[in-house]
Amino acid sequence: MTVRQTDALIEALSGDVTPVKRLAPPLSRALATLAGLALLGLVAILLLSNISPVTMRGAGGEMQAGLELAAALITGTLAVIAAFHVAIPGRSRGWLAVPLPALALWLGLSGLGCWRDLVRNGPSGWDLGHSMDCLAFIVATSLVLGAPLAWRLSRAAPIDPLPVALLGGLGIAALSAFLLQFFHPFAVTFLDLAVHIVSIGIVILLASLFRRPMLRPA
Amino acid sequence: MTTAGGKGGDETWGDLLAAAQLGNGCAYRHFLIAVTPFVRALARRRIHGDDAIEDVVQETLLTIHRIRHTYDSGRPVEPWLAAIVGRRSIDVLRKSTRTRAREVHNPMAYETFADPAANMVEASESARTLARLMGGLPPRQKEALELTKLKELSLDEASAVSGQSVASLKVNVHRAIKRLRLETGKNLFE
Repeated sequence: MTVRQTDALIEALSGDVTPVKRLAPPLSRALATLAGLALLGLVAILLLSNISPVTMRGAGGEMQAGLELAAALITGTLAVIAAFHVAIPGRSRGWLAVPLPALALWLGLSGLGCWRDLVRNGPSGWDLGHSMDCLAFIVATSLVLGAPLAWRLSRAAPIDPLPVALLGGLGIAALSAFLLQFFHPFAVTFLDLAVHIVSIGIVILLASLFRRPMLRPA
Repeated sequence: MTTAGGKGGDETWGDLLAAAQLGNGCAYRHFLIAVTPFVRALARRRIHGDDAIEDVVQETLLTIHRIRHTYDSGRPVEPWLAAIVGRRSIDVLRKSTRTRAREVHNPMAYETFADPAANMVEASESARTLARLMGGLPPRQKEALELTKLKELSLDEASAVSGQSVASLKVNVHRAIKRLRLETGKNLFE
């Protein structure tokens, strides 16, 4: 290719330029998307759930269950906000690390909860409860919530779709796990927790594998 | 010319790109012309070879065109632009690596196939080799092979020309091919 071709390209591009609708700042787009997802989740909880996740653990577990819920919600929210930021060229790569502290807190609290149950209930704390149902719930809910998120992220046609897909996958999986707490009829064991982590991994993997058709990168 | 980050002439790159977002073709043209040296300089830091650098420049311009709606007019253009150049540089590097891994550059191949005279050299070498090999065959086998395989006569016609019976021609052709195969390791008349 030559400089002359580059000049011709500039003439061609500027010759057919049309007005474009500028994207709103990533934070406001992320918050609008999260509001839509929250509405979907709220409708699902009101229609389908009759469980209060905070009281489910019994004496001594309310505070921890509440913290776990909050950590999952914060992880999902921060990951989605970060995904909208890294979808725009030139934004800091530091956004990739933003959800990690909340993720560590969430997994740490879940592990602590499992340990408490193990001490309280003995060997039954290692049982595999309804984990396969949880896996199906997290993956299926992620697919439902992930479709509108992917559509919103694809508006930026991210030039590097992998970090966007990773953050979007983490965000949507964390939000699905948050929703799961409203449908979860039991406290998690270590094996359940492992299955939850695997579910989140599956969602992130799916998001990474299908990042190109979903995000339509430039 | 407008310089990176600052004012040159009347408008910054950000102003020009913001005007381009509104459909101002003239501003867009000025913007693209102004940023091209910057893009080329960034590409040169990552890529070697004039053709590859120009590939990155053109891919970057096309990407700018496609995602110009993602530029936030309140922010500097350079990081936005540099991220696009970086990504397109990686793409061009990957593409050239793939090409090098899968394709072999053989200038002789072009010459041999594009120039009929070049093909004649190879053909004449093959003909000389075949003539040498056939020279080593017994006369009746050589005659049978020449008539049926090189002159492509039918068995009846070859029989009439050579005086050999059809059965004898078949046997001699078979033996000749077998002998040549033993010498060359391949079947020349497949």
